Amino acid sequence: MRITLQEDLDRLQADVQQEGALVLRSLRATVNALRTRDLELADEVIAFDDEVDDLYFSIAEGIHTLLARQTPVAIDLRLVLATLHINLHLERMADYCVTIAKLTKLVGGVEPDDDLMQGFDEMGTRAEEMIRVALESFAARDLDGATSLVDLDEFIDRANRRVVGHVLELGGDEEQREWGLRMIIVSRCLERIGDHAVDIGEQTAYLVTGEFREFTDASRDDMPDRRV
Amino acid sequence: MRARAVRGRAFQGVLLTALVVAFATLATLVYTVVRDGWRSLDAKLLTEPPSISPDIAGAHPAILATIYLGLLVLVMAVPVGVGTALYLEEYANGDRWYNRLLELNIQNLAAVPSIVYGILGLAFLVRGLGLGRVLLAGGMILTLLALPTVVIAAREAIRAVPDSIRQGAYALGATRWQVVRRQVLPAALPGIATGSILALSRALGETAPLIMIGAVTYITFDPTILGPFTALPIQIYSWASLPDNDFRALAAAAIIVLLGIILLLNAFAIWVRNRYTQRW
Amino acid sequence: MVREAEVTSERTPIKLAPVARHEARPRGEDAVFEIRGLSVRYGDVVAISGVSMDIGSRQVTAIIGPSGCGKSTFIRCLNRMNDLVPGAAVDGRALYHGEDLYGSEVDPVEVRRRIGMVFQKPNPFPKSIYDNVAFGPRVLGMSKQLDERVERALDRAALWDEVKDRLKKSALSLSGGQQQRLCIARALAVEPDVILMDEPASALDPIATTRIEDLMYELKNDYAIVIVTHNMQQAARVADRTAFFSVESVDGQRSGVLVEYDETAKIFTQPSDKRTEDYVTGRFG
Repeated sequence: MRITLQEDLDRLQADVQQEGALVLRSLRATVNALRTRDLELADEVIAFDDEVDDLYFSIAEGIHTLLARQTPVAIDLRLVLATLHINLHLERMADYCVTIAKLTKLVGGVEPDDDLMQGFDEMGTRAEEMIRVALESFAARDLDGATSLVDLDEFIDRANRRVVGHVLELGGDEEQREWGLRMIIVSRCLERIGDHAVDIGEQTAYLVTGEFREFTDASRDDMPDRRV
Repeated sequence: MRARAVRGRAFQGVLLTALVVAFATLATLVYTVVRDGWRSLDAKLLTEPPSISPDIAGAHPAILATIYLGLLVLVMAVPVGVGTALYLEEYANGDRWYNRLLELNIQNLAAVPSIVYGILGLAFLVRGLGLGRVLLAGGMILTLLALPTVVIAAREAIRAVPDSIRQGAYALGATRWQVVRRQVLPAALPGIATGSILALSRALGETAPLIMIGAVTYITFDPTILGPFTALPIQIYSWASLPDNDFRALAAAAIIVLLGIILLLNAFAIWVRNRYTQRW
Repeated sequence: MVREAEVTSERTPIKLAPVARHEARPRGEDAVFEIRGLSVRYGDVVAISGVSMDIGSRQVTAIIGPSGCGKSTFIRCLNRMNDLVPGAAVDGRALYHGEDLYGSEVDPVEVRRRIGMVFQKPNPFPKSIYDNVAFGPRVLGMSKQLDERVERALDRAALWDEVKDRLKKSALSLSGGQQQRLCIARALAVEPDVILMDEPASALDPIATTRIEDLMYELKNDYAIVIVTHNMQQAARVADRTAFFSVESVDGQRSGVLVEYDETAKIFTQPSDKRTEDYVTGRFG
């Protein structure tokens, strides 16, 4: 029943997973480029973003047409709206990867601090894991998987908070201090990537439960339930 | 409020009265006939020719003639009548003047008194065509009499076939003739059959036109198509006019036979209608 | 491009090879119908005026518009069913695979065999299911291997499984949705290459409607389908291209005209004409 609607929905889901795969690629590459100071790789990451953007626009247009033509309701509608948001989150993640790559290029000449690089490697790995968990949970409509993202994000948040202190300790000459500031931005990018992964988890929760809900809110401890 | 209810009940009462009157009249007629005739109802009525003696008189030639007349009417009136109806409903362009004229005249013909058909038959068939006073002429007259009724009934039946059926058949690439033959006619058949049988049973009861064209009142041999003839209504009339009470009883018996034939025909018509009618 | 060698990871990666995208159905580029300046009059009333459009094969083309805009009149021109309406006059040109449908040498019967039609209210004949489907082949002299023909037609109309054990039963015993699929099977049995549908689902309940729509999706692989519908969402769902008709004043007389004709996605996301937008958004009139 409703063959075209189902095909269109399936295609959108496949495209979103594809977009996720591209983002993972980008993230792995940009973290490696950062660690090994590989400026060529950084350039490739920047160029590669076009592919993500193309897919992003294609998905957005697909959603536009699907809403106009198929008038989905109930779970189909929630699926399409969740896909709309997830599409956006993935595209932002890719943009952050580009930012990291640009920063890598900017500080190419400076000798990096091994501890910090190790830290970034771990943050990057954790971020990759979160992206995978987020997309798999979305595909499987797995609520528990989605909520687990909050805990996974803890690691990145803590690591991010420590980076400022670590940079201050390093000190050094002007060039090294500049490097340090840039690395704070890199850390921030990685932390934001983690947050976007949590947001994807929230979309999955919305899809499954029909409730708009943030998993955690920085400002308050008690969470209001906003049922749609 | 009460006035409305009372008016409603009063109206219902009037309708009921009308029904009772009609029914009572019919019942009385039937009862009278049966009371007068059932003693004379026996096999010899059906097998013996008439005679001056009521004890051995029968209506065999008359019954045969009525049956032959019925068959003649069936064979002649139905094809012509159905054909006319088909032409008017399926082929004719309703705006043309000659079709409208045709239309008007068929309605009129159904109302013409049967004696006029008799005169027509005498002038054109018996004398004009030179047929003489034969069974065939009688059959033809009765055909003319029954024709308008058949046409009207067939038209109703054909009109009752929904236009969507025709559209569906045309859309598949059928020609007009194919649509008529394979969709319209089969679907209209029950209505046509019923209408034809009703027209036939009316024709069988006609006396005046037959007398006009010269049906004899006393005939002892079996009738043939091109020979002199009588018919059951005429035989009844003839017996009923005789002074002898036994003949009157015979007449009543013959009426029962005639009623029986007509009843059988009508029952058959109803059966055909019920069996073959499609519910749209 | 990102070097493959850089993309190693401890964990099993999500598939990196691009997922096969849904192949766009190859659509016939040839036009089945080329309509130029088509106008239809019923006596003094002009039903449609100056309609020009091409209709492609192997796709669904929908005609939408308010009542009285001439949608049904238009598609009835395509299979010459307007010939049956006394007083109907057709002007302009309607080419079917390059041939003039209204040419003097053209036999309407042959036209109707190749361009089939399904009506708004299902109109099965008062015969058995088998005889309904067999009617077309029989009147057109295609009675060889009738059994196979009937089965194939019923199968294509997604009805075979439901009726295969009761082919001799009356067609009127079927439900509304089944009757409509029977009418589609009837049209398919004579092997047309176009199927016209005049509001085929408007007399059906939603589930039966969905089945008809799914059927159209299957059938468009092999036939050109032209559907008239007053249900815009239906047009949005099923049609590849959509034509919007409206009533306008032409030469001082109100008649139906073609306002916009484009890819369905365009009509429903960003129509070029304001009248179209007013109609599809429901702000019409």
